[in-house]
Amino acid sequence: MPERLACSLGARVRRAFGQLGSLSWLLGKCLQGGFRLSREQRRVVWEIARTQIRFTALDALPLCFFTALLLGGITLLQVFGQLSAFGAERHISQILAQLVIRELGPLMVGILVISRSGTAMATEMAGRKLSGELDALYASGVDPVPCLLVPRLLGGVVSVFALVVVFDTVALLGGFLVAWLRLPVSFAFFLGALGEAIGHRELTTTFFKCLVFGTAIPLVCTGYGLRVKRSTTEIPQAVTKASVVSLAVLLVASAILSILIYA
Amino acid sequence: MPEPILALEAVTLLSPEGRAVFRDLDWELPRGARFQARGGAGGGCTALLRLCAGIAEPHAGRVLLDGAPIEPGAHHPFLRRGLLGWVPSDGGLAVNLTLLENVALPLRFAQNLDRQEAERRAFDWLERAGLGPLARKRPAVPGDRDSWVASLARAAAKGSRLWLVDRPAGGLDLASIQAAELILSQAGLDPEVTIVLVGGAWMPSLGQELHIGNGRVFSGGGP
Repeated sequence: MPERLACSLGARVRRAFGQLGSLSWLLGKCLQGGFRLSREQRRVVWEIARTQIRFTALDALPLCFFTALLLGGITLLQVFGQLSAFGAERHISQILAQLVIRELGPLMVGILVISRSGTAMATEMAGRKLSGELDALYASGVDPVPCLLVPRLLGGVVSVFALVVVFDTVALLGGFLVAWLRLPVSFAFFLGALGEAIGHRELTTTFFKCLVFGTAIPLVCTGYGLRVKRSTTEIPQAVTKASVVSLAVLLVASAILSILIYA
Repeated sequence: MPEPILALEAVTLLSPEGRAVFRDLDWELPRGARFQARGGAGGGCTALLRLCAGIAEPHAGRVLLDGAPIEPGAHHPFLRRGLLGWVPSDGGLAVNLTLLENVALPLRFAQNLDRQEAERRAFDWLERAGLGPLARKRPAVPGDRDSWVASLARAAAKGSRLWLVDRPAGGLDLASIQAAELILSQAGLDPEVTIVLVGGAWMPSLGQELHIGNGRVFSGGGP
């Protein structure tokens, strides 16, 4: 019995490392392909990346705005309840800023991007592979890695960065609105307190989380989409795996980055 | 004797179910040859084309394209330069791009033409194929038959040296046959261009017959 348990655990660990290895290989191919692009190829890649940014960032703005506003307000309400018990309400904007900028902003944007665009990327890649479109591109002289994957990575990084900036700003504004309803705080005071709370570490965290999330989500989702082999029934399985794995990667990467920067 | 444009050396290809489609197949395709491939359903015509295009990987043996072996995971230089005219049954066009963008994409990506020149050349070939009015539409709108003809136009626009043309899904109407004949005849004007056309009873003037079946490939009269 213990032997079987150990075998099963070992197989899972081996499988997890195998998947990590194949994603690293794909990332390596993307970087290699991306750096070798000619001028016209770079133009093609940028055109596709622009479309990706439109779908991932621009079309997600209303949802991002709505989520951020609610989350900022609710977080402030919760924090306010705790702080007012100790008479420390004046620290409210610092705590809100640190919570939103360090953790909630990038994480929520990551979840939004996975649910909207990551699943779409996995479905698209799986469909293209099954229909033979990728084979036709490859045989026609268009390497699918630099032509399809690199623009998605580029679009992912730019979109996540743009959405995190919007999300953080709106969430902080939402927090201010709730604070303003309950406390005698001015916008100038709120901004001043924010300025004190946001330092280079917050900016570093935002930058690295955007870079990692923006790369990891398209990479994992397209990678799982490309794993389908023969049947359309594999597509929903690939999409489920892609979203679950990219969510896990997001949480682990977020925790590691926070520990590295703040511990 | 000139080097063949394509050579299969002791190639074994198994179907996903494990059945041998080809076993120890040796076959050479001379440069400038024109073949009409014939074979029953499941006889291996499409599989042979996929092997030759580097899309299907043989389980044993190797495929030499323009003298260099096709290696798994590496984009063969012949393919990278856009010299292969690959025309699958459904055309293999990207559904999110217009016909014009589909034809222009390999010209820009593989042959580094700027967008204007690539689209000019692409439109010229689409117009010759009778698809000028549909050039700004996506493949899902015109349907498979037009996608297949557009795929021929793509192969022509690139100046392909080796054409691997599968039979179109769903057959052809008269306009499509005329368009396909025109494109293939113009491609065939260059004696260095090699063409393998699966089916193609509608173009008897193309060249010799190639019989594919029982895991073997015979040119001329058949086994």
